[in-house]
Amino acid sequence: MDTKPKILIVDDKPQNLRALEVVLKDLDIELVQTTSGNDALKATLHNDFALALLDIQMPEMDGYELAAILREEEKTAHVPFIFISAVYTDNLNVFKGYEKGAFSFITKPFQSEILINKVKFFIEKHQQEIALHKLNDDLKKKNAELELVNNELESFTYSVSHDLRSPLRAMNGYAHILKEDYEKLLDEEAKRLLANISENAQKMADLIDSLLDLSRMGKKEIAKQTIDMNKLVREVIHDLEVNRVSNEQLQWNIFDLPKVKADPELLKRVLVNLLSNALKYSGKREKPVVEVGGHTKEAKTVFYIKDNGVGFDMRFYNKLFGVFQRLHKPGEFEGTGIGLAIVQRIISKCGGEIWAEAEVDKGATFYFSLPTDNTSKI
Amino acid sequence: MNENSQVEILLIEDNYNDAELAVRSLKKHNLTAKLKHIDDGAEALDFIFSKGSYSGRDQLSGIKLIILDLKLPKVNGLEILTQLKTNEQKKMIPVVIFTSSSHEKDVIESYRLGVNSYIVKPVNFQSFNTAIAELGMYWLLLNHSPGPAN
Repeated sequence: MDTKPKILIVDDKPQNLRALEVVLKDLDIELVQTTSGNDALKATLHNDFALALLDIQMPEMDGYELAAILREEEKTAHVPFIFISAVYTDNLNVFKGYEKGAFSFITKPFQSEILINKVKFFIEKHQQEIALHKLNDDLKKKNAELELVNNELESFTYSVSHDLRSPLRAMNGYAHILKEDYEKLLDEEAKRLLANISENAQKMADLIDSLLDLSRMGKKEIAKQTIDMNKLVREVIHDLEVNRVSNEQLQWNIFDLPKVKADPELLKRVLVNLLSNALKYSGKREKPVVEVGGHTKEAKTVFYIKDNGVGFDMRFYNKLFGVFQRLHKPGEFEGTGIGLAIVQRIISKCGGEIWAEAEVDKGATFYFSLPTDNTSKI
Repeated sequence: MNENSQVEILLIEDNYNDAELAVRSLKKHNLTAKLKHIDDGAEALDFIFSKGSYSGRDQLSGIKLIILDLKLPKVNGLEILTQLKTNEQKKMIPVVIFTSSSHEKDVIESYRLGVNSYIVKPVNFQSFNTAIAELGMYWLLLNHSPGPAN
């Protein structure tokens, strides 16, 4: 419910006040009329004014003095003024405090249209400011709500994951105990079934860990640094190679990569995931090749990782980054189906994009972009 | 366990399954002869401070290790840890927290209170087994404890 904007009018002659009242009668405003500077000041204590019309020639306190005092008080420091004077004066230095707020002049006798126009202008400005403040407040409230929900989600995620792990531990444990203690009474099939129980319990634990991971990525604070991509990529490759247990030689083609500004931990995570995927899905090739490159294109720096592995069917592209979505059978390649979901979340958080192209049995190329930081030297 | 013999390991764990798995693991390494299992936080405090149904004698005179879970009914693990580590006689007893929670806040708070070790219960059975057996053997056999002050 919006109240009408209030306008303060100060003029020592009541007939002038009445004249102004008449001129402004069609505007949707509330007038507060005062005949002296002191009365005007009193009025400001009880009202919030959108605009003040000030006569300059007044006994005791003239318009300029009043204006200066109004500018001193925080409550009225930004109220715009329209000075109404019989004589135009360009002695603005007389008005102390003119820098602080907007003001205008009108000389008597004035044309009604001009005054109305000026008044309307300031009223509209005032209303826009009020709307803006309200928007800001709403935004702050929404933000607070969002933070609350986020925090609740975090505690929910943590307690769920820990409470879910307990029974898994029991399942896994008891299946193993059964196998150990009753080994002599169990045939091969029975042992296989028990092993199955254990495996699935472990798998569920892995899924829970993955989900926790995903939620944690969403919460991490970003700390940007200039990153030497050539170095980082080689670091990740080295770590992956050290842990890789296979005999075929994988060929790495790494082109010169541009530097980029990003959170090193998050970016490393992205690289580990994309590069290990490239390794994994080209592992069955006789001659696996993984290519890494990148270039800066104005506002974006784009990197790509290309492999000659099994690729995927582009018809199912929309599932590529889904949580727990896989485009291959668990028997073909292991994985929980959460890696790319995490990568996408990270890249999104960093203000970039990720996409891919592939052909079944020919290989896949994953691209991701990050905003180019214009202050970093490339 | 003989009523008159000293408790060497106190296992404070409310989850029956976790307790059974832990005891079984310790048993395989012959560490359970003097183990006491309590599944309630308030009862654990009574035992530790010889109150309530445990009044009469010092229950912890031979104690070598307390294995403590964090989530317990009535009184939680951190509360028990606080009471142990702020008590002049009891603060030298080695306490290992063995819990599902890997929540960083819990880890930090536990170490701040003076826990000797913090271990997260693995889901994988072999890992669980190893963890319990190793911690049991370390604190009972390998480590030199001052034992509770008299």
